[in-house]
Amino acid sequence: MGDGRRTSFFLQALLLAFLYLFLYFPIFYIAFLSFVENTTWPFPPLYTLEWYSRLAIMSDFHEGLFNSLLIGLGTGALAALFATAGAMALLRYPVRRKALVALLYLGPLFVAEVLIGISTLMFNRNVLGLPGNLFSAILSNTTHALAFAFLVVLSQLVRYDWRMDDAAMVFGARPLRCFFEVTLPSIWPAVLGAFLVSFLLAFNNFEISFYNLGAVPTLPTIAWGTLRHGIEPELYALATLVNLAVFVALLLLYLLIRTGLVRIGLPED
Amino acid sequence: MKNRGLRFDPRIQFAMLALPGAAFVFVFLVLPLLSIVVFSFWRTERYELIPEWNLENYRIVLTDPTYLTFLLRSLVMATVVCLASVVYAWPVAYFIAKHGGRYRLVLVLLTAAPFLTGIVLRVTALQQILGPIGLVNMALMTFGFEPIEALMYSNVASAIGLVYLWIPFMIVAIYLSLLNFDFELLEVAKVAGARPWRAFLEVTWPLNWIGTAIGIVLVFVPTFAATVTPRFLGGPNGSLFGNILEHQFGATGTWALGSAMGVVLFLVSLAFILLIGRTIDPKRTGFTGIGR
Repeated sequence: MGDGRRTSFFLQALLLAFLYLFLYFPIFYIAFLSFVENTTWPFPPLYTLEWYSRLAIMSDFHEGLFNSLLIGLGTGALAALFATAGAMALLRYPVRRKALVALLYLGPLFVAEVLIGISTLMFNRNVLGLPGNLFSAILSNTTHALAFAFLVVLSQLVRYDWRMDDAAMVFGARPLRCFFEVTLPSIWPAVLGAFLVSFLLAFNNFEISFYNLGAVPTLPTIAWGTLRHGIEPELYALATLVNLAVFVALLLLYLLIRTGLVRIGLPED
Repeated sequence: MKNRGLRFDPRIQFAMLALPGAAFVFVFLVLPLLSIVVFSFWRTERYELIPEWNLENYRIVLTDPTYLTFLLRSLVMATVVCLASVVYAWPVAYFIAKHGGRYRLVLVLLTAAPFLTGIVLRVTALQQILGPIGLVNMALMTFGFEPIEALMYSNVASAIGLVYLWIPFMIVAIYLSLLNFDFELLEVAKVAGARPWRAFLEVTWPLNWIGTAIGIVLVFVPTFAATVTPRFLGGPNGSLFGNILEHQFGATGTWALGSAMGVVLFLVSLAFILLIGRTIDPKRTGFTGIGR
C-alpha cells in the first residue's frame, strides 16, 4: 500500500517535471538560438549578437512595438476598470440577475479569438463603415481580455471584507470617496494583476488584432509574417525579448504579493 | 435627501458598477457576432456584400465535401487534444494541489505563465524543436538516423502544438477545483475499504468533474477554431476549419460564405459547451465559486 503511494507520488512528480521541460525547453532553446550564428545546428555554437543588432535597425519592429504597447496599455486600462467594477458589483450586492451579468463578463472566454477578429472586422467594415484601426483593436481586445481580468479580480476580492466599506459609509463617506480611501488601497494589487494580464494578452494577441488592423504592424503580426516567409533569426531575438519581458513582469507581480508588501483584504487564515 | 437615498439603493449601485462592462461586451462583441449571423444569409459579389437573403452559404458549408472534411478534421483534432490534455493535466494538477504545500501557487503559475507570451511566439518556439530543421530532426540526422516524419508538418505535430498551447487552461481549471476538494474524503474511502483507483473513480473524479468540464470547454473552443498552429505545424494535409474560414476573409474575399463558416464554428462550439454543461451536477461537486 505504502509502496503504491510512493510510486504514484514519484510518477506524478515526474510528469510535472516533464511538463515544465515541454513548456519551457522550446522557449529557452530559441533564446539560445538568438545568440548564435549557426542557428540550424548550433553545435558547437558560434556566438553572435548580430540578430539583435539587425532587429534594432528594423523600422517595422519599432512601429510594431509601439503599436503593441498602445494596444496593451489601452486594453489593460479598460479591462482592469470594467473588471474591478464588475467584480465589486457581483460580490458586494445581494441582487438577482447576477448570473446574467457574470455570463456577459465571462462569455468571451468561450468565443474563439478568430471569431472575435472576423466578426469585429465585418461589423466595423459593413455596419459602421469604419476601417479597422488601433482604437477598434483596443476595443475588441478588451472584450476578450476582460474575462481574464474579471477572473483575476474576482479571485482576489472574494477574501475582501466589505464591512470595512460599510463602516466608512456609516461614518458618512460617499461611495466614490469610500472606494478611493478604503477599498482601492487594499485591493490595488488585484487591479494591477488584472491590468497586467490584460496588457500581456492584448500586447501578444494575434488573431483579434490582425483582423482589426490589416496592414498596421504589431509585434505578433510581424512575427507571423516572418514565420510565413520562412523563419529568420531576427525572430528568435524578438521572441526572446518579449518572453523575457513577460516573465520579468510576472515575477515582479509575484514578488509584490509574496513579500507581503501587498496584502489583499484580510489575511487568508 | 431623497436623491441621496436613491444613490445608496443597492440595486442602483449594482447597476452602476456592473452595467458599463456588460454593455461594453454587448456592443463590441455580441453585436458583431449577431452581424455575421445576418451577413451569413447574404451573398458576396466582387468583394462586396449584397443584401439578398439566401441559404446558399450554409448549403455550401454543410454539403461541400471539402469543407465537411475540414470541419470533421477540426472536430477530431479538438477531441483528441482535449482527451490528451485531460489525461496529462489530471495527475499534474493533483500533484500540485495535494503535495505542493506552500509552493502550490508558484508551481501552478509556472504552468500558466508561457500562455501569456502569445500563440505566435509559442508556435515559433515549438517549430524550432519539431520542424524539419528543428532540433529533434537535426539531431537524428546528425547522428545518422532517419528523421521522424510524423513530427514535421503533420497532424501529429499540430496536436502536440495545440496541447502545448492550451494545456495550461486544463491544469488551472482542475487545480482550482481540487483546491476546494476535501482530501479527507479519500481517507474515509480507504477506511471503508476502497482501493485507490476505486476511490479516485467514485470520489475524486466525480466531485471534481466541474473543474475538468470547464477545462475541457476552455481547451475545446480555441482548438476547434485553431488557425496559427495547423498553418505552421500541420503541413499540406493539416489545414483545419479555422484555416479555410480565415481564407474567406483574406485572398478570396467571400465575406458571406466566411460569415456562414463563422456561425457554424460558433454553433458547434456552443452545442459542445451545452452538452458538457448538461453533465455537471451542481449538487455533486466540491467546487465553490461565485455567489457562495
